[in-house]
Amino acid sequence: MTRKIKATIALHWREFVRVMRNEYKHIFTDGGVVLVMVGAIFIYSTIYSLAYGNEVLRNIPIGVVDMSQTQTSRSLAHLFDAGPNTYVAYNPTSMKEAEDLFFARKIYGVVYIPDDYEEKILGGMQATVSLYLDASYFLMYRQVFQEVVAGLMQTGTQVEFLRLVAKGATIPAAQAVANPVIYETHNLFNPYLGYGTFIMPAIIIVIIQQTLLIGIGMIGGTWRELGLYKSLAMPGRKRLSMLPVVLGKSVVYLSIYAFTVSYALGFHYWMFGYPMNGSLGTILLFLLPYMLACIFLGIALSTLFRYRENSILWLLWSSIPILLLSGASLPREAIPGWLLDFGKIFPSSSGVEGFLRIQTMGASLDDVLPELKTLWALAAIYLALACIGIRHVLRKQEVI
Amino acid sequence: MSFLRNTYAVLRREVNRMARLPMYWILTIVLPLVSFAFFAVMFYKGVPEHIPIAVLDEDQTELSRQLVSMFGQTVTSDVRYEIQSMHEGERMMREGKISAIVLIPSDFQKDILSNTQTHVVSYVSGMNISVNGMLSKDLLTTVTTFSSGVQIQVLMKQGLTEAQAYQQMMPVRFDRHVLFNPYINYGYYLLPSFLPMMMLIFALLSTIFAIGTELKGSTAGEWFETAGGSTWAMMVGKLLPIHLILLVMMLVMDFVMYVLVGVPLNGSFWILLLAGIEFILAYQMIGVLIVSVLSNMRLSLSIGGGYSVLAFTFSGLTFPLMAMGTGLKVFSCIFPFTFYTKIFVDQALRGAPIIYSIQDMGWMALFVILPLLCLPRLRKIATDKTYWGRI
Repeated sequence: MTRKIKATIALHWREFVRVMRNEYKHIFTDGGVVLVMVGAIFIYSTIYSLAYGNEVLRNIPIGVVDMSQTQTSRSLAHLFDAGPNTYVAYNPTSMKEAEDLFFARKIYGVVYIPDDYEEKILGGMQATVSLYLDASYFLMYRQVFQEVVAGLMQTGTQVEFLRLVAKGATIPAAQAVANPVIYETHNLFNPYLGYGTFIMPAIIIVIIQQTLLIGIGMIGGTWRELGLYKSLAMPGRKRLSMLPVVLGKSVVYLSIYAFTVSYALGFHYWMFGYPMNGSLGTILLFLLPYMLACIFLGIALSTLFRYRENSILWLLWSSIPILLLSGASLPREAIPGWLLDFGKIFPSSSGVEGFLRIQTMGASLDDVLPELKTLWALAAIYLALACIGIRHVLRKQEVI
Repeated sequence: MSFLRNTYAVLRREVNRMARLPMYWILTIVLPLVSFAFFAVMFYKGVPEHIPIAVLDEDQTELSRQLVSMFGQTVTSDVRYEIQSMHEGERMMREGKISAIVLIPSDFQKDILSNTQTHVVSYVSGMNISVNGMLSKDLLTTVTTFSSGVQIQVLMKQGLTEAQAYQQMMPVRFDRHVLFNPYINYGYYLLPSFLPMMMLIFALLSTIFAIGTELKGSTAGEWFETAGGSTWAMMVGKLLPIHLILLVMMLVMDFVMYVLVGVPLNGSFWILLLAGIEFILAYQMIGVLIVSVLSNMRLSLSIGGGYSVLAFTFSGLTFPLMAMGTGLKVFSCIFPFTFYTKIFVDQALRGAPIIYSIQDMGWMALFVILPLLCLPRLRKIATDKTYWGRI
């Protein structure tokens, strides 16, 4: 009896090793697969990080149409020059001229100061300044709006304060009337609101999933084209007998990604200065179920691809939708709730959410418990589907 | 004349192939429609609503509660939790339950009533900068509105009428004109970039697939013979059916964008259509170039796929090109999508004079013309058996 068990274990062990050896061979002799499973992480993380390297958009050219041409109006325009976000690149003499500059992409916002500006300010009345801001590029709109409005508010408060003092108010009293509630705001975790710091962690996590799905799919297609399932897997009577095949493949992918992911989340992170607030243990314990869920999903899907090119053709386009579904780029609250829930079938949704909180905010495993549970559940479900899928392929090939 | 006859022969052969290979339909019709549907649903809401925040009200007075309820009444933010300590707030943030904490200090009401300056502090998570932007603006507006209310009360007590108090309080007011995207809607600017992004992925992949399968299946010789040995007939007959289907998809895309979602169309539709045709053709030609040079479908798909996905970042729609260095700006010019995006922004959103788009269309034309240099290579791989049958 024990001999029989020993023999079965030995048999499955040989199968496991055979699958592993075969898998390494097929990955590293196929340029297309190496490019996807190894090259992509290096190439994408570098190119994207360089593109977002400046992190924050500064020095946006704007135009000021100053019809007032007075000391008061010039000091207002000067405020737009003083801040980091904008600079007054042009002083068009009319709105028509400003419009031409706009279409020629020389300026991205126009401030129109009317000719009665000084007169109204000095005369104790209310002056109106018009802003024309380009919202076709979101980030530009925000940066220009912030700076221009801050300048206007500052001017307004100052004028009101001076008027109150002129009327005989004491300085603290005038301050309290002009600005009764001082508002202070602090940005946590990403103090300069850098674009790269915000998007890169999510992109890297999604790249891990997508390259695994496409790469494993390519190998799966190769297995089917070459009829390898039959020669590598023992014709199993039970679903569980597919386990050595699935695990053999998984260990190979895990070993390759151990290198590439360490680079992306280690050296690369350090080089570009992304926030690293999580503890190593937490990160590893979180990434393990993430990687397993991705790999098992990849193997399950790979049994559907009859040809090696099919996985990239079917899956490439999904990268952007999947990044959006993870809620890391668009605000979660702008996405229909049921769509977000649906997105949870992909490991990336919980993976991105949990990883960002760990690495950017310094969350503990306890803090990301719901995500962790989801990932383990996905890993278990996809492991089962992978076994079922392989057995299904074997059966079909037996029939043929 | 013989060119037309040859092209027609290739075309007929191609239509037969399409009927046999379902992957053609998947790439040019099924997946494009699925992706359009996904994005249309994704951006249906367009603006984020009810972002959860927590408030730490240390004052617990009538005025502080009034401010808290004002935070809750805005569309963007939602006061989900009233917390007892900053520690509690930090934990909720790490658990992903809230995106901001607002702190109202004790003595808030006392200070206001005694005409002393007080303050409100907010801590906004910067993890998602879009959420941060929306929330920061919303919180600032609420505090400013509250503050104005206090000022008006004080000034009216000094004997001013409400209108006078209002003028006194805001010596400089501004009227804001948001150009080209008046609702500041996410859908309006992201949808028109994601949908063409899908189009370019499918144009590139389907072209590489169409030529790659001829090599993989060793049918390239038959393709060459059907064309009567004319490389041009080979290419035109091959690309035309895919182009026409994708053009129809492009019109579906326009329908989704301009009619269903209501993206503004302020400029010339015809220029946009013309640019769209050029855009699809440019990516098809890049596909021809890649697969001719590499003569290996799998590697071509990996490289072409990688190239196509990169285009999004360098279109500058999310993170403007202006903020990138010179090298990256030059790099952005290797993607037709960069030029197509500029044409879209100018024509659909801005309603710019046509002249501004002509130049970008000229640049895009280069991507159609330059790959023609690889035609001799295409002829070689279609006739030399050593390039066939590689899997």
